Amino acid sequence: MSKKGVHVKVDEFKTDVGLFKNLELSIGRIVEEKWAEPMGPTPFPEITTLRDWDMKLLQRYKPFYLPFCDVCCLCTFGKCDLTGDKRGACGLNMAAQQSRIVLLACCIGAATHIAHARHLVEHLMEKYDRNTPLNVGGLNIDIEAPVTRLVCGIKAERLKDLEDALEYCEKQVTHLLSATHTGQEGSNLDFESKVLHAGMVDQVGMEIADLAQISVLGFPKADPEAPLTDLGFAAADVSKPTILVIGHNVPSSVGIIDYLTDKGLLGKVEVVGICCTAHDITRYSSMAKIVGPISWQLRYIRSGLADLIVVDEQCIRADALVEAQKVKAPVIASSPKNCLGLENRTENPSEQVISDLVEGKVPGALILNPDKVGEVAVETVLKVAPKRNKFSIIPKKEEIIKDAQECTECNECMRACPNNMPIPKAMKAAAKGDLNPLADILEDCIGCGRCDSACPNDFPLHSFIVKAGEEQLLKEKFKMRVGRGAIQDVEIRNVGGPIVLGEIPGVVALVGCANYPKGGKEVAEIAEEFAKRRFIVVTSGCAAMSMAMVKDEEGKTIYEKYPGAFDAGGILNVGSCVSNPHIAGAAIKIASIFAKRKLRANYEEIADYILNRVGAVGLAWGAMSQKAASIASGFWRLGVPVIVGPHGSKYRRMLLGRKDIDEDWYVYNARTGEKVYVGPTPEHLFTAAETKEEAMVLIAKLCMRPNDTSKGRAVKLTHYIDLHKRLYSVMPDDIHLYVRNQADIPITMKDEILKILEKKEWKEMGIPDPTLLPRLIRKTKGE
Amino acid sequence: MSMFEDIPVDVGVIYEGERIRRNDMHIELGGPDIKEKFELARVKKPEEIEDGKITIVRPDLKDMQEGKSYSFGILIEVAGPQLEPELEGVVERRIHAYCNFIEGFMHLNQRYDIWMRLSKKSFQKGLNSFEYIGKVLHRLFKSELPIIEKMQVTFFTDPEKVKPLYNEALGIYEARDARARGLKDEEVDRFYGCALCQSFAPTHVCVITPQRYSNCGAISWFDGRAAASIDPKGPVFAIEKGELVDAEKGEFSGVNEAVKKKSLGEITRVWLYTSFGYPHTSCGCFEGVAFYIPEVDGFGIVHRGYKEASVNGLAFSTIADSTAGGRQVDGFHGLSIEYMRSPKFLQADGGWKRVVWLPKEVKERVKDFIPAELVDKIATEENAKTVDDLKAFLKEHNHPVVEHWKEAAVVIAEATPTETREEAPAVPVITASTLPLTAGGFKIILKDAKIYAKKVIIHSEKTEKKGESIAKK
Repeated sequence: MSKKGVHVKVDEFKTDVGLFKNLELSIGRIVEEKWAEPMGPTPFPEITTLRDWDMKLLQRYKPFYLPFCDVCCLCTFGKCDLTGDKRGACGLNMAAQQSRIVLLACCIGAATHIAHARHLVEHLMEKYDRNTPLNVGGLNIDIEAPVTRLVCGIKAERLKDLEDALEYCEKQVTHLLSATHTGQEGSNLDFESKVLHAGMVDQVGMEIADLAQISVLGFPKADPEAPLTDLGFAAADVSKPTILVIGHNVPSSVGIIDYLTDKGLLGKVEVVGICCTAHDITRYSSMAKIVGPISWQLRYIRSGLADLIVVDEQCIRADALVEAQKVKAPVIASSPKNCLGLENRTENPSEQVISDLVEGKVPGALILNPDKVGEVAVETVLKVAPKRNKFSIIPKKEEIIKDAQECTECNECMRACPNNMPIPKAMKAAAKGDLNPLADILEDCIGCGRCDSACPNDFPLHSFIVKAGEEQLLKEKFKMRVGRGAIQDVEIRNVGGPIVLGEIPGVVALVGCANYPKGGKEVAEIAEEFAKRRFIVVTSGCAAMSMAMVKDEEGKTIYEKYPGAFDAGGILNVGSCVSNPHIAGAAIKIASIFAKRKLRANYEEIADYILNRVGAVGLAWGAMSQKAASIASGFWRLGVPVIVGPHGSKYRRMLLGRKDIDEDWYVYNARTGEKVYVGPTPEHLFTAAETKEEAMVLIAKLCMRPNDTSKGRAVKLTHYIDLHKRLYSVMPDDIHLYVRNQADIPITMKDEILKILEKKEWKEMGIPDPTLLPRLIRKTKGE
Repeated sequence: MSMFEDIPVDVGVIYEGERIRRNDMHIELGGPDIKEKFELARVKKPEEIEDGKITIVRPDLKDMQEGKSYSFGILIEVAGPQLEPELEGVVERRIHAYCNFIEGFMHLNQRYDIWMRLSKKSFQKGLNSFEYIGKVLHRLFKSELPIIEKMQVTFFTDPEKVKPLYNEALGIYEARDARARGLKDEEVDRFYGCALCQSFAPTHVCVITPQRYSNCGAISWFDGRAAASIDPKGPVFAIEKGELVDAEKGEFSGVNEAVKKKSLGEITRVWLYTSFGYPHTSCGCFEGVAFYIPEVDGFGIVHRGYKEASVNGLAFSTIADSTAGGRQVDGFHGLSIEYMRSPKFLQADGGWKRVVWLPKEVKERVKDFIPAELVDKIATEENAKTVDDLKAFLKEHNHPVVEHWKEAAVVIAEATPTETREEAPAVPVITASTLPLTAGGFKIILKDAKIYAKKVIIHSEKTEKKGESIAKK
């Protein structure tokens, strides 16, 4: 499609037509254009191209800073105290410093996904074919990469076409990161605009990664009926030699499955995964199983069930090697980004590496070739497993009781616990022989192991907790629908109308990590609540796994109870972290397929459309990482509000709307050009919820959009009011801001609401054709 | 105070999608095990109705045996100065929605096919009499449809009483359908317009006539009539038909004016019964698309639920994409399934005589409305998967379009591509026309010339699809 750098120099050239002397022709790039859609206004936007749009968002959703740390210690001027109205030695104030840290986090997140994509694309091009056609959904998908088309303005047809977009992303992250250097950007709003830019390129990076792996590795292609896979401690038959893969970047795990297949060993060795690699390997092979989310690393390694551990990249515990050594399980590191101090054995003969690992001469090896990882991992595990005999460092019950009797209840463990779990109390009970309170903690434990480090007696508290809950844990097996990938164009066409008109009250995306204050069950509960209410529930990453870990009275998980289609009442797992752009892509496709808005390099208009019309909300209930930060910011720029759990306030700033300031909530009516008040819809762009109840009410509320028809608004209000009444036992106090005319009032609550409106001196408002962009005001033809 | 304070269970839109499984049900009304069941709305004179009266022709819910299915009929009688018998169907269809708002009370299907269940939970909460159901319906109907001034509800569960009424109801449905299907565009002065879809297709205006359902298949002329009178500020509005400009193509001066106004001048003329020239615009939620196949000079039809590629190799989504968004695109026509049952269906283009292919599923649904002599001549995916297959099939079955094939060949030769594409290609850095190196008769000398381009975009040349302009004639 695209060729770079053509340079022709001709000293003298005579033809019938003319004479050319010293002709130099230099073309930066030749692009063969097969795409009929004309280029939109903002192809490959630079860091300031969409700044005007960002400022529109930031003016309404003002950054609200929650400093996690009052000083700046990034340069040797510092530490600088930034409290109050103080400025640091470089002149920066608190707001700018906080937004600068947010930008740093988002750059880290974006760089991680983009580097992940870069690695995948290069690996796949080398191993398979540069010209492999991209295919995410066969006939059912025309728009293969909505985010990339929207941002870059390119239509990628083959694997190699993705390189242009990748290069663009890499360049942007470098620019953005440079802005965080001392003495660069000084305005917090400009930092925030750059945060949004980082989020946007992050979405491109993720989309490329998933597009490449779906197309080349044959993952489910936009399949609502993607197969169900087993998940949990008991998902695999661990009496067999067991390989545990942890991380996000799937090629080394694919290497393992391929080697097993080639050698006819499939079924003789179990391959289990934790975190997104688990998602992606189950998208690749039905033989792989899932252990659980990111938070299950320590408990699984210590249980000794894995005979060999392969780590790739992202969200892997830095002490994975240390912990693995304790249970005598060799470790293979397979990513240049996570070498764990191990010797690089990529070029060594496999037999040598295998024998070193089997004999325990080395605790692990760095192997930077996925196929070789496959060979070494399988051959090693076959020999190691019998020797290890599932050696575990989880203590016996008697040992726990004995140690517990020596516990002084100093409370250091509880203080160290991010979720303030009552470990001392549980230890007290354990001292008396009752391990149940410790077992209860396991359900909510996020597996960080900080209690271990905090204990002055050096008790392996996390292992105590695991042991206490082990009996249940070892029995548990759940069903999760594997990542289906993109949303079909046809599905979008079916639900586009009901969503834009508000009859499907919203699209709720439950995404992100597993740093939950009260365990993953809350995520399952929230998902089910909204599926029952006929919202469309989409999910990905660790949240998608956590919500599989609850069964109803018939023993079914929500994936067995709700359809996997992008339709009212569906619960869809799109896949791993890098699958998140399918969710953004669905919103984009509603605007482009359904409403025929031009997609190509037309970011501002599409984002304006989504903000004003598509009732989509993200909930990252356990968001932990920098990647989660950049994923969220990619959604903000597109006009999709995001809610985070209680830990989310540690991201240092929220983007909050002020419903009490009327001026903030005006839009243009595209049909008349007048400015109209539309109420706080949606009220926030980024906010934290302290409890699941608060989150649920917020989700329902943030689905309202200025464009809702009366029927749609009535439905959305019903859910908002119903949840508010059920969870807070009172009517919300802001109903009058969301009722535009009498037809908006939920019909079963008419009398009640009319009285409230009267009290609030409510006045009827119109329903405009809303936009924040004056250039989109329609001109009446022939005037 | 809530409207339903005195009802033992909750009432709200959120219960609309609630399904009650057999294990959870207290009793069942109607459904597959019961032959005689019905729901019926009738418009009466005010003096015939006692507002708010609820009658139960027993047994009542509390007297029914758990786990059993019962004969059932519900009769809603309404009166009001604006209510006309034409609106009975509109009122009747709301029974479904309103019953489903009741927690633990499920209503499926309609008319003589209804199937309701009461959940054990709601029964235990005290929903043990039709009295409550009647009250909910009465309040919802009166608050939502202010044109209803008086309303009374009667529940029948005595099989002896249900039976005669069931037979009577069947007669009423039949008469109503016959009247509705028999009503012609020529017989009314008013059509209805719907601008609901403008939020995603800003220039789209649906024109709903007695013989042309809305594109989405959800709004008939009667529905439009009811909606416009109930909610005059709503998205559905009356269109005075005005003068008949072209009976064959379906052009009316009033329609043109209304559409021009509502589309902000974008669309100025609409021909209701054709897919060419000034076809009706397509929104985004049409049930199917008729698409012209130039190779055979006929129409294919593909509906939303069809997952394979259509006979022209394109999937529904691709075809839909070429017409959606409130545009008038020659040869592409978003439509409802019901419109295919209308005698006005693509009338100016030859109607069913011009239809050559459609998915089997749709064919089955509209079979009774396809002229008998044509049924077997129209291919489905079982007969043709490609245009070549289709050609062979049509020839073999002597489909009426085959006769036009020779004629059409001549037209193709004459047709000149006059249409300009709405999307101009991006301006390239250098084109042959701006740098006429090849111009005959000139000699060009370039000395020390440097041409630098950051990027050169090469467009592959597009060949005009000639077929699109054929049938305009």
